[in-house]
Amino acid sequence: MSEFEKKRRKDKMKITAISGISLCCFFIIWYVCTAILHLKPDYILPSPIQVLQAFYEKLGTKAPDGATLFGHIVASLKVAFTGYLLGALFGVPLGIAMAWFRRVDMLVTPLFDLIRPVPTIAWIPLMILWFGIGLGAKAAIIFVSAFVPCVINSYAGIKQTKAVHLWVAQTFGASRKEMLFTVAIPTALPMIFTGLRISLGTAWMTLCAAEMLASNKGLGYMIQLNRTIARADLIIVAMLTIGIIGTIMTGVLNKLEGKLVKGGRRS
Amino acid sequence: MKKKFDPEKVLYATASIVFFFVAWWFITTFTPAKNTTPGPVEVFVLLITSFTKPIGEYAILGHLIVSMRRVLVGFGCATILGIILGIAMGSSKYAEAIFKPIFELLRPIPPIAWISLVILFFGIGELPKYIICGIGAFTNVTLNSYTAAKNVDLQLIGCAKMLGTSERGIFLRVILPSCTPQIFAGMQVGLSTAWMAVLAAEMVGAREGCGWLIQRGSDTLNITLVMVGMIVIGTVGLILATVMRAAERRLCSWNVMGE
Amino acid sequence: MECDGRVKENRMIVAKDVKKTFESMGNVNEVVEKVSLEVKENEFVVLFGPGQCGKTTLLNLIAGLELPTEGKVFVNGKEVTGPGPDRGVVYQTTALFPFCSVMGNVEFGPKSRGIDKKTRRERAQYFIDLVGLTGFEKSFPNRLSGGMRQRVGIARAYANNPKVMLMDEPFGHLDAQTRYMMEEELQNIWQKEKRTCVFVTNNSEEAVYLADRIVILTNTPTQIKAEIEVNLPRPRKYSDPEFLKIRRQIEDICEETL
Repeated sequence: MSEFEKKRRKDKMKITAISGISLCCFFIIWYVCTAILHLKPDYILPSPIQVLQAFYEKLGTKAPDGATLFGHIVASLKVAFTGYLLGALFGVPLGIAMAWFRRVDMLVTPLFDLIRPVPTIAWIPLMILWFGIGLGAKAAIIFVSAFVPCVINSYAGIKQTKAVHLWVAQTFGASRKEMLFTVAIPTALPMIFTGLRISLGTAWMTLCAAEMLASNKGLGYMIQLNRTIARADLIIVAMLTIGIIGTIMTGVLNKLEGKLVKGGRRS
Repeated sequence: MKKKFDPEKVLYATASIVFFFVAWWFITTFTPAKNTTPGPVEVFVLLITSFTKPIGEYAILGHLIVSMRRVLVGFGCATILGIILGIAMGSSKYAEAIFKPIFELLRPIPPIAWISLVILFFGIGELPKYIICGIGAFTNVTLNSYTAAKNVDLQLIGCAKMLGTSERGIFLRVILPSCTPQIFAGMQVGLSTAWMAVLAAEMVGAREGCGWLIQRGSDTLNITLVMVGMIVIGTVGLILATVMRAAERRLCSWNVMGE
Repeated sequence: MECDGRVKENRMIVAKDVKKTFESMGNVNEVVEKVSLEVKENEFVVLFGPGQCGKTTLLNLIAGLELPTEGKVFVNGKEVTGPGPDRGVVYQTTALFPFCSVMGNVEFGPKSRGIDKKTRRERAQYFIDLVGLTGFEKSFPNRLSGGMRQRVGIARAYANNPKVMLMDEPFGHLDAQTRYMMEEELQNIWQKEKRTCVFVTNNSEEAVYLADRIVILTNTPTQIKAEIEVNLPRPRKYSDPEFLKIRRQIEDICEETL
């Protein structure tokens, strides 16, 4: 191995070491501030050890918020997937139709622009009043949150199709329908996936809000309830769980995109 | 994109919007939904009166100002911090090594999930609202500044070096301006996330603001109030986005490809 | 070497046994192998070679953007240890600062070196006029055509008043018509503002049109294959029989390599 290669490897190890140390420092500072200095009472800022303990206990016990951690996760995922899948199922085709058919574009776009600026969180009270606090209301909220980015990105993706590519298809005698499926949609696929990813993020965030406001189960509810009884350790467990699940879902979607999108991602 | 007056387009747009309102009016007048949902006229009337008649402590503009202040303070501080941290991480591998793991650890947690912890920590004054808005904006701005600084065209840096530019000059006159379009994109997303976060924060624990307004409507089973709130919130969101886009067009005109 | 016998005092660029290797994934790639080159003050040297040879690397070594693995490069008697304002570079991709106007780009160098606003404006304006971009001072690069961008690149390099101009296939991306025009312009500019020039190209016509001396390089690892002096009077004509003879000569030498 040459000098150069050695130096690079050494550099890399140094960087990894710094990263490790920095993470350790984060936890040590947290630990020192809580377990040793007691800057804030335990019920407001627990030490990392207490959070781990709470996590471990929460795996088995239902107190104080009525379900085990696993129960909350399942409840949240059920809502999230129902709403998200419905949103994608309606949003993507609508976006494609809006971009491909001029009449649909002219008819639907004004309505869509009317609704789009309202943040999904602002829909929560309305949905609760309409659908109660069951699965329906929350799924409807998630639906809105996933629907909007799906439409926007699918629309933009189809609009990206280059005229030259369409001309090529035309000279080969492709019909309008064939052009849509063989040229426009494959072109739009990376953008559609971007939309799916963005909407997954917003859906997951909106879910927290929805569960905080109207629920009796789920990770958002866990955050909300434990605030009222001042159990910060459980709040942090719920927050981290939300973060981890969000990361996993994004990862899965990226893998799926890698499999489905041929010819590489554009963005 | 050409903005040409297209009568067909206007016709279709008018038709669809008229249809929307007529359908709304029809459903709320002639179907069982009329018991639960107000019609467009009711909502419009309340929207007008709410400008003068206070709901809770303030009239509607008062609530708006309260919410806007929270958003702008949180967003402003978060943007400054985010740009500094993001560019530091993007241009120095040591800063990257130190901050990136912590950032990546906390980034996936949505700003709304922080609400409870922040309220426990700081009570229910103004500070926790600033912080929640700030978290919403911070992640977006930091992430965009970071990727932008990381992807600065190396040839431009080499070029500046050849012209005798100092390290500081390269940072101020090459790296920073190259990053502005992407930072701006991050700020746009950040601002709308902050706007969303403030609503959530106000819905959970506040006595004023737009989020409180719609939550109040929900608590008192007043759908009309909820809808008025949504209209106001949507309009403000639209204005914020438009302002940001206009600012971007002014500041980053060099980045727009030929007409 | 050929130029050793002539006046030694005014050698502007001296490269001595320069070798450059790159490593990636454990493979050692030799790009430039033991090249020695001397360029006199105000001489226009063209480095001519096939597509993927190390001519750009050689230029970067003189620029100081890359450092030689072995050997040394001297410019104006000082060893090159990094980039510096005594050498101006014109890139194939122009590498204009997209966020600066034409004026901003041209005065970038002088501004970096702390020259006061009035002087550097005058200086920049002189070179903008010289490359024929008067009236475009406030335009941004995204509104300029390829040829105009290249003119800005040349003006930018000149405005810093470098001893040496290094040009890396500056006209490689231009269409044929613009290319002829730019070659003529460059020659005029160079005759008005003489500098030591090292110009990289893979176009023999361009090489003969511009060069005092053509250095023909081999494929990687790059070595010097031959050198040709071009003593035709300027301005040159592409269809001049002498001109064509030199082109033929270059092509013959290159064919041998293959």
